[in-house]
Amino acid sequence: MVAWLAVTVALGLVYFVRAVDRLGDEASKNAAANYDDRAFGGGNSLGVDKQALTEARGWIPDSASYRLLVPTDAADLRNFVRYFLMPRRPDPDASWVLCYGCDLAGLGSRLEVVWKNDAGITVGRLSG
Amino acid sequence: MTVRALLGLAIGNAVVLTTGACLLWGVRGLRSWVELARLAGLAYMIGVVALGVALSIELVLGVPFGTPTIALTCLGLIVAGLVLGRRLGRGRVPLRGGGSDGLGLVAAAYGALVVVYAEALFRAGRLAALSNYDGWAFWIPKAQAIYFRGGLDERFFRDLPNPTYPPLVPSLEAAAFHAMGSPDVVTLHVQFWFFLTGFVAAVAGLLAPRVHTALLWPVLLLVLVAPRVVARALEPQADFLLDYLFALAALLVALWLVERQTWTLCTASLFLAGAMLTKREGQLLAACVVLGALAASWGTRRAAWPRIVLAGGCALALALPWRIWFTARNLSGELPTSGFLGLFRHLDRPWPAVESVVRILVDFELWLLVLPLATIAVLLAFAGGARVLPTYAALVYGLSAAGFVWVLWSFTELELPFVQDEGVNPIVRLCNSLVMLSAGLVPLLLDAAWRGGDGTERQR
Repeated sequence: MVAWLAVTVALGLVYFVRAVDRLGDEASKNAAANYDDRAFGGGNSLGVDKQALTEARGWIPDSASYRLLVPTDAADLRNFVRYFLMPRRPDPDASWVLCYGCDLAGLGSRLEVVWKNDAGITVGRLSG
Repeated sequence: MTVRALLGLAIGNAVVLTTGACLLWGVRGLRSWVELARLAGLAYMIGVVALGVALSIELVLGVPFGTPTIALTCLGLIVAGLVLGRRLGRGRVPLRGGGSDGLGLVAAAYGALVVVYAEALFRAGRLAALSNYDGWAFWIPKAQAIYFRGGLDERFFRDLPNPTYPPLVPSLEAAAFHAMGSPDVVTLHVQFWFFLTGFVAAVAGLLAPRVHTALLWPVLLLVLVAPRVVARALEPQADFLLDYLFALAALLVALWLVERQTWTLCTASLFLAGAMLTKREGQLLAACVVLGALAASWGTRRAAWPRIVLAGGCALALALPWRIWFTARNLSGELPTSGFLGLFRHLDRPWPAVESVVRILVDFELWLLVLPLATIAVLLAFAGGARVLPTYAALVYGLSAAGFVWVLWSFTELELPFVQDEGVNPIVRLCNSLVMLSAGLVPLLLDAAWRGGDGTERQR
């Protein structure tokens, strides 16, 4: 019992110091992060296009729905965009479109592009 | 990320504490305000689980979710606690009296370390970004959907990963959004700091009058400084809250086994319901607690078993509405794709599954020596002459570990040997529940070993 307690106390105290150190470093890192780093969180490691998603947030009204067109193997991206654009509702029939590296030809000439970039990301709205 | 959000969160949690204190007074009674201070952590956790269960049921019933609903739910729970207390003849709570034994030197020193740790954890979580995958992939979107749309949005839930995961955590997160005034996913980390702090205070408060401080606090500190706890306790997802609810339920059942005070079993039943409404694994863990209690109370089965079965049945009844909700909507993903018996078509899996679970349970880099030390504590309690507590603990640990093996064996989409990164490894998450369980059970086991018996003669 005494040996058990000795191990527990020693480990606890050594790792207490390490934990407080680690948490201090974490706090400093988090405090140094900018607004975008915090807003995008997990999107940073996914490598999402921050400007594109910020534009989509700006253009698509909160109460609107949007159709998200992403490659079929981009489930993580789909999940992240769904989280980031809340409360906007994903809907395959919506008039607002966020095309993330998709083929715009399928949408025909009805798409009114409101924003796009060189990486092939487009925010637009279908007319009619 | 604002002071307003932090203040709102603090006020919201104070309301939860008040709610839990009224429920605790109703179900247990309180001998003094000093005793209430000692049990404040337990009161807070009772408030958390009662509010979470009530909000989950309200969501299933289609009650519009919003600040008025949350406030009325808290009010209803407060009134329920007060009415129960009056009916059970609970008296006024004097300022001083029973349960105010003061704080010894060891407890004060370790308490100071825990406060320093909690402060460091708060600073780390205060401005943390939402980085963990499950958080942004489905836990937070569910909470956002409840916050923005005022209820369970079936179509939205259906599109998310794990649509059958229960709504307790999203409903508490959505309540936190209302308290903060916005869906602030950065400040939300602080809500999980409240949960951890409440859990630690609950365990310390429950065990302080029973277990010597030299046996209680070193174990608590060791669990808190385990690397995985330090790294992930504040992630806004359900795993750690599930672990707290499971650990408190198991601890309360352990106390009931040796003290037979009705309030501990009633409260354990509520925590079991909370665990089942937090994650689907909660059902597995709750079953382990109930089975462990049944086996450990074999000697008094005529008196004990009906009560244990009733407590388990009440917990199941509270968790049932959610199951009915998602089953009626054909949401799937709750069980292995091959069904309950499909695992026998994969007899190459059990041994690698056992290896994977054991390797994770004893991984020093994740939780130091917490689980090996817990195993030794069970043996020490047996050697010291105790029977009920070590039998119960051995069964809860053993059945849970067997359950984790079953998960690996039967969910055949999980590759074996299982060496996924710990951040996304579901077995690591499951095993974490046994680490949090150790915070409560191990001091009790050591106390039994030290005193040379289960301590059934000591009524607290």
